[in-house]
Amino acid sequence: MSAVLITGGGGVGKTTLSAGLALAAARRGVKTLVVTIDPAKRLASALGLDVLGADPTPLADNLWGAMLDATRSWNDIAKRYAPAEVGSRLTTNPFFEAATQHFPASQSYAAAEEMTIYIESGQWDLILVDTPPAAGGIEFFTSPARMRSLVGGRLLKWLTGGSLPGRRFVYQFTARPALRIADAALGSELLEAVADFLIDFRAAYDGIAERSREIEQHLAASHKVVVTTADPAPLSEAARFFELENGTPELVVFNRVLPESWYHAKTVAPSPFDDNLVRWGTEAHRQAEARRRFSARWHVEPATIPWLAHTPNDLERLEQMIDSAVGLDLDRLFS
Amino acid sequence: MNLLQREGTARLDGSGSDCRRYPCEVFDKRLLIVTGKGGVGKSAVAAALALRAAFDGRRVLAMAMTDDTGLAVHLGVEQLRYRPTHIRSGLDAVSIERPEALNEYLRVQLGVPRIAQFGPLARAFDAVASTAPGIREVITIGKVLYEAKKGTWDLVVADGPPTGQIGSHLRAPATVARLVGAGRVLDQTGWMARLLRDTTATGLVMVTTAEELPVTETLESLAAISDENLVGIDGVIVNRTLGPLEGDIDRLDDGPAKQAAQLHSGLFEEQERWIAHLPDGLRVPYFFGLHTPPEVAARMADLWGDT
Repeated sequence: MSAVLITGGGGVGKTTLSAGLALAAARRGVKTLVVTIDPAKRLASALGLDVLGADPTPLADNLWGAMLDATRSWNDIAKRYAPAEVGSRLTTNPFFEAATQHFPASQSYAAAEEMTIYIESGQWDLILVDTPPAAGGIEFFTSPARMRSLVGGRLLKWLTGGSLPGRRFVYQFTARPALRIADAALGSELLEAVADFLIDFRAAYDGIAERSREIEQHLAASHKVVVTTADPAPLSEAARFFELENGTPELVVFNRVLPESWYHAKTVAPSPFDDNLVRWGTEAHRQAEARRRFSARWHVEPATIPWLAHTPNDLERLEQMIDSAVGLDLDRLFS
Repeated sequence: MNLLQREGTARLDGSGSDCRRYPCEVFDKRLLIVTGKGGVGKSAVAAALALRAAFDGRRVLAMAMTDDTGLAVHLGVEQLRYRPTHIRSGLDAVSIERPEALNEYLRVQLGVPRIAQFGPLARAFDAVASTAPGIREVITIGKVLYEAKKGTWDLVVADGPPTGQIGSHLRAPATVARLVGAGRVLDQTGWMARLLRDTTATGLVMVTTAEELPVTETLESLAAISDENLVGIDGVIVNRTLGPLEGDIDRLDDGPAKQAAQLHSGLFEEQERWIAHLPDGLRVPYFFGLHTPPEVAARMADLWGDT
């Protein structure tokens, strides 16, 4: 069993590459699940994902797909790790959805939890996770620790007053002079509701803290692939993975790569397309230099995928995209 | 009036001239909020708008609302802080960091004395902001609106949250008004919502690229924002667009020139397909061979100049 995390900045083609790699694995006979976040509609329909909910659905021979639904994941997390009656009270609390969306790295944590469940189920040989775009996917790796520090943090301890029951606590809370200002600013109804919610949420702490350590181990054991283009923003996102403990990527994939030969190309007979070649050649050269700088800085030999005029929108084109990649060692990645 | 309906701007249908003159109406506003899906060049556009207005003699404040790295690199500085960093004549930039934004909000908007801002009160606010919807966003958007209102600047350009979060920020004053039954926070939501909706003062600039996901997100976001009448929309900017390629590619001999022409025309075809879904807007060309974010922002700002 192995897990592969596909990470990188926004708009670099992570989802398409995840789908392509999953398909390539499935066609090699590896039982594969691809977990995606928010695929483009055409890609989704190419994969048959448009009819698919959060549960793994068979897409092709050896290939399953699932979409992340962070709200649903958080409902499950609350029910799984809080005492039964607290869990159902939490998920029906009007603040629950907003709060779980506001937690640091909330979507990433939900995705990491889902991934861990799929790994533990033992149903697949390979699980490919298309990580959420937030913070370039880097917070995916820090999300378990951040979740622990939120739930166990001083803030929550202070606010929920350790073992104090909710209502009594709130009375104490608003009795303190400094907090009368908070009361005047926000109104005591809101303060009470927030304190009640946090007291309930804290009941899930031990469960979440323990679980987050298991999740961390699975994240550390997974293969990491960083996808980038030669543009500055995704490159600096990609660099952050190399600075992360336990996050060091095994593979860097440069997407939308132009042939550097265009830069040196000489035109034989003058044509109206020469200016166009010069423009693209300049761009190809810029890309190649950016790629060389990145490779030298981080000691990597990146794989490259050519710039395609049309994003693959069926299985055949997805497979062609993976076939056209240079330096992509699939056997190693899927092992 | 949509900025992009002015004559002399590049229309998405290809009519009009290229995007030389950026419409002046935009710079007559007091606040521009720039949004777009991650990776489309939202921060580059925000930086370029701020630079252009500063070049034209306005006093401009550029503000990073959620993540300051994009705006900072495009303005050529390492990091932005809560206190203004002087970028060039007429242009300062800040990043809205939460503890400081909260303290200022408490002091300026709510009239809480400085001494009371630390300790329990700040922690109570922090807890509420992490839990209740709208509180965190109202502090961020409140800071932006406050800077636009107070008159120190001719123009505030906010590098806003990505399209996925722009709705919750624009909606925050209303969300908070519903949530907070009483109290001074409630009193502050009225002017915020009014200033956002005042189309003579405030405009939203939506940045996208001509690809499926960014266009889809843009359309969804535009629909939600205009349905709820949250803010006036000052048009769509389509970044990294290619021009048409004249000539018969099939007559070219095989080789790099043909390959480049085929890629270009394929990308152009795809681009036009997605642009056709968008409302009227402005194209920004793909900058071939440009290396650094400040180069990109400066080129874009030049493009919108008078010459």
